[in-house]
Order: sequence, then C-alpha cells, then structure tokens
Amino acid sequence: MGQLEEMLLEIKDTSELMVDLAYSSLLYGNQEIAGEVIQLHQRMEELGEEIEEMAVRRSIEDKDVVKALTTIRLSKSVKDISYAALKIAEVVRRDEAPHPVVQLSIRDSDVIISTAVVQAGSDLAGSTLGRVRLATNSGMYVIAIRRGRRYIYGPDRDTAVMEGDLLFARGPPDAEQYFRDLASGEEHLEAKDLGR
Amino acid sequence: MRNDDGDEDAGQYTVRELLTEMKDISEVVVDLAYASLLFDSQEIGQEVKHLESRVDTLNHEIKVRAMMAARKKEEAVALSGLLEVAEAAALISRAAGSMVDLLEMGPSPFLSFVLKDAEEKIRLLTLSERSDMKGRTVEELSVEAETGMRIIAVKRGIRWMYDPEETIKLKAGDVLIVRGTEDGFERLKRFASGEEAWPVYPEEEE
Repeated sequence: MGQLEEMLLEIKDTSELMVDLAYSSLLYGNQEIAGEVIQLHQRMEELGEEIEEMAVRRSIEDKDVVKALTTIRLSKSVKDISYAALKIAEVVRRDEAPHPVVQLSIRDSDVIISTAVVQAGSDLAGSTLGRVRLATNSGMYVIAIRRGRRYIYGPDRDTAVMEGDLLFARGPPDAEQYFRDLASGEEHLEAKDLGR
Repeated sequence: MRNDDGDEDAGQYTVRELLTEMKDISEVVVDLAYASLLFDSQEIGQEVKHLESRVDTLNHEIKVRAMMAARKKEEAVALSGLLEVAEAAALISRAAGSMVDLLEMGPSPFLSFVLKDAEEKIRLLTLSERSDMKGRTVEELSVEAETGMRIIAVKRGIRWMYDPEETIKLKAGDVLIVRGTEDGFERLKRFASGEEAWPVYPEEEE
C-alpha cells in the first residue's frame, strides 16, 4: 500500500479510536484520556494537512483529479469526526461536570464503554490481546489500558496484558459481564478459543 | 433505539432518550457511510442521509428541552456540557453525510482499497441455508458478544434493513454487512455458512 493510502487509513482508524476514547473520558470523568484525545486531534490536523498536500502533488504527476478530490474530501470528513471527539474531550477538561444524564445515555447506548481490572488468575494476565482473541471471544474491543500510571492507547493484537492492568473496552451491553468475568478470572477460555 | 415512526415523535422523548438515540446513530452512521463507499451503494448512502437528518431533528429538540429545564446558572452550565456532547454526535453524523457525497464521483477503487485494510473492517456475509442462525434475531443470538462482529445492516432481496438488532429474524440468503476484526469475521463466517453450530450455553438456557 502506498504512503497516501496508509496515512488515510491511519487517520480513519485514529478518528474512531478518538470517539471511543472521548466517550470513555466522559463516562469516567477521566482527564488523562481526555488529554490524549486532545493530543490526537493535534496529530490528526497535521496528518490531514500532509495528506491533502500529498494528494495534490500526486494529481500533478498522475493526473488523477478524482482520486485527489476523493482523498481530500474523505480526509476532511475524518478530521470532522476527530473534531467532534475533541469537543467531547473538552467538556471533560472543563471544571464543571456535565449533566448526569450524559453518563446515563452513554450507558444506555447500543455501544457501551466498560472497564475491568485484570486479576492474577485471569487468562488475560501475561498474555496478549491477540492470543486471547479478546474482541472475538468477548465482543469487547479494548481501546486503552492503564498500567500503573501509564496509559496505552489503541492497543493492538500484540499488546501484552498484565495482572493489575485496567482495561477500557467498547462493545455491546450483553458482552460486558463476560468481559469482566474473563478479566477477574471467574471465567476461562477454552483452548479452541485461543489464537496463536 | 432507532424509531422509524417519522421525525415528528422526537417531542415525546426525554432528554436521556434523545441523547441515547443520537449517540446510537452516531456510532452506526459512520460505518454505514464507509459501507456505502466500499460497496458503491446509493441505498446505504440514502440511509446515511436519513440518519443525518434524524440526528439534526433530535439535536434541535434536545436544545429546546435543555433550555426549558435550566432554572439556575449551575443547571445551565451542566446542560451546556450535555448540549456539546449532543452537538458532537450531530457533527459525526454530518461528517458521515459528507462522506456519502463522494458517491456522486463514481465508484472509487482507490477508496475500497484503503477501507479494506482498516483495523476493524466492514465486510459482507451471506447466511447459508445450513446456518442455524436463521430464524433467530440478532439480539437473541447476541452476535456481537459472541463474535465481536457488529451487524450494521441486512439486505434481503432488494430490500435493505438497518439497525436489525431486535425485530428481524434472520433468513437464509440474507446478506449481512458486518463490522469488526478479521478474526471475528472468520468466526462469524463459520456460523453463517453452517460450518459450525451456534454455541449454546446450558446454564443460560431455560
């Protein structure tokens, strides 16, 4: 895949992560996560500008105006989503808490945010997200991990999970319990459910 | 949460319901927009436009409600935060609406190429006659909890059905638009093709 395609994909994936992180920060009043969304937005702005410039340069070479326009317009829409996430994060950064209904609505949604602490006896402890195939097996998709005072944002399948990690995940309401039970070690995965 | 009775009913909802519906739509509308580009589908594009205008209606209603509810400054401050969250959901829906405008430029192999490699992919899946998912609703099956894949739309014959969670019983031949990881897709595919039986958990069955 070319550089332009890769960058476009990166801003698309990042914009989605940002929205999930923004709702998480709002639900838990979490300043660190809100701060990350604000930083990611900065990066999105920069990447967006690079993409637009590159798209125009390319079109001069390959004369493919439609491709350049498509790229620029899609990049703009993706940046708008990033901006929406920024707006949510800014609400969290403000001193006054938003109305409690906001949290209730996030919890009522078809897509909820949940957290779980990984306990010593859990299949997750000492494994990776890919090995336990957490998204596939539990329906919950991990968007951030808090380890001690550090955060890992947008972890991938190779990201290690350790005892004591606090997982922030997004998924359907009916997946939450099993996700938490897996993290606490109350539920275990069968060998056939594990990945390599 | 989506209500299909038209847009005039927004006035009967509570602020909580309005915001929940706005959030729900903002979650699915972006996936639908990408799906419309990926599969060059005007129909899906129209649904995105419909959802975009629905969110605008809800956003207007929630503003009116918030203003009526605030009596003191602290209340107004708390509600302004809520309105900004609502506005963000509207921004997301508008961004999705702008994406589907790209359909006018004709099919773009370039875009399909880009979108196919996303972290959580949008894919098509046909339900086989042999699959035991048929005859059951997406909600009954807990498809997303079971596979990590979210079904964002179903095509039956020439008809599209959106937000298929509760009401629609799946049928053989249904084309599902799903979103999720590659691994989850492979798992769902085994169930949808009938290669594997849908899991049953004895302790949860009555």
